Amino acid sequence: MAQAAAIALACAIVLAPYSGAIEAADQGRQRQAAAGAYTPARTPDGQPDIQGFWNPVGTFYNIQDLEFQSVYQNFRPSDPERRGKSLIVDPSDGRIPYQPWAAEKAKLVLEHHADPTPQLLDPNARCFLQGVPRHLNNREFEIFQPPGYVVFFNMAHHAYRSVPLNGGPHIPDRIKLWMGDSRGHWEGDSLVVDVTSNNDQPWFDVVGSFHSDALRVAERITPVAADTIEYEAVITDPKVYTRPWTMRLRFERIKDYGTELYEEACFESNERTLDLMLHRPGR
Amino acid sequence: MKIRLIGVILSGVAIAALARPAAGQAVARAADGKPDLSGVWQAVNTANWNIQAHAADKDVPAGLGVVDGDEIPYQPWAAAQQKTNLANRATADPESKCYLPGVPRITYMPYPFQIFQTPAHIAITYEYVHAVRRIFMNSPHPDGEIEWFMGDSRGRWEGDTLVIDVRHFTGQTWFDRSGNFHSAALHVVERYTPISANHLDYEVTIDDPRVFTRPWTMSMPLYRRMDKGMRILENECYAFGLEHTWLKPPQ
Repeated sequence: MAQAAAIALACAIVLAPYSGAIEAADQGRQRQAAAGAYTPARTPDGQPDIQGFWNPVGTFYNIQDLEFQSVYQNFRPSDPERRGKSLIVDPSDGRIPYQPWAAEKAKLVLEHHADPTPQLLDPNARCFLQGVPRHLNNREFEIFQPPGYVVFFNMAHHAYRSVPLNGGPHIPDRIKLWMGDSRGHWEGDSLVVDVTSNNDQPWFDVVGSFHSDALRVAERITPVAADTIEYEAVITDPKVYTRPWTMRLRFERIKDYGTELYEEACFESNERTLDLMLHRPGR
Repeated sequence: MKIRLIGVILSGVAIAALARPAAGQAVARAADGKPDLSGVWQAVNTANWNIQAHAADKDVPAGLGVVDGDEIPYQPWAAAQQKTNLANRATADPESKCYLPGVPRITYMPYPFQIFQTPAHIAITYEYVHAVRRIFMNSPHPDGEIEWFMGDSRGRWEGDTLVIDVRHFTGQTWFDRSGNFHSAALHVVERYTPISANHLDYEVTIDDPRVFTRPWTMSMPLYRRMDKGMRILENECYAFGLEHTWLKPPQ
């Protein structure tokens, strides 16, 4: 019975965000059309200057359904009527094009995410690195542009990702990393980054949207106004999806934050709490 | 302008040559004329096992130590505490728990780190547990009772030496696997001086009035990692051995 309800819920999620996704895509096109109107300043080594503190717009609890968090925050069963926009602009239904086995797994995590078993616990909650793109669609981050590089710093988990711009080759794909291997270049005012060597652990969101170690991310990061960046990621993973898919969102400059990130020693602080959670009676 | 820049380079080399007769290749310069410390570096010594001189033991490589004079001026209670730490090191060493290792230990752990340099801000990213340090130049430490594993770093140039003042530590980090330790009152001053294109001289002054009778120093060279395609990888210590606790997608 519970299973039937869950399947019904999953179907509702699949059908609902059509209009939202199309609207988001339209907004994206409008923003990109406006991009030509803005020319960012240059760093000393000639890069478009996108340095500073940025916030992803919205809270991306569920990248396929941005209003999901508001109905799930109290960890009550969600109301299928209250469905919102997806970050996914391709395919046009706003859904991750999982292969059938992968859709089953994703459903399992979604059902249990509010009271997970250890195996279903969000890796972000365990202080593991968030991976690409989640480290940019989770919380605040900083962009730093020393000569020849774009470097991202997260306050969460003191994560960093450096993107060399020197045209060097990727590391051997035999090496798998939580944050992958990024290689970038500027195409006009857009930073284009190819991310390989991803491991299979990070999720895309709190509800377990996932990938395998065959993940490849093609990012395009475009400043469209002094305080706005357009972010697009094309996600390819032939082990898990039936086709590549694209998510798009905006970053807005944080102006009231000061100019320094603090240390968040996540693992050092959470170790005991997580241990209690994972080993509590009944687990 | 070009002539003046060359003059700066020449005088910089001359100073380095005076201080270090075997200086070798010229030190690279950033656009602002300061030494360019950018790149991937690593210590090549056994200080992470023991910062003092030590013979080899099982899984411990021998080493001459990095403490100047080889003496650590512990207060009596602290000397006893170090012995207790040493006896309990298998579980008491913060490294055994994969914690952020603090400064200066992160510098001489056997993993590479990368320096990114601009005039106002230097960042150091470390391979081990993706530790990161932000060094803001010519700016004051924040006030308050702050306890950070990696401390709060403020930098300045003294000639060709990058001087980093580090405060606001926790008492939860050690200097090595041999139980050498400090309190949250630790104050570290690091000095990074290029001595060739591919070597830095690294000198550290340690002060902690709760634990030591006087400030003391350690010093060692740092070497540029010149491996083809060199980049910082990852060492996510605290994730190792937990693979059974998460779901793996079918391969």
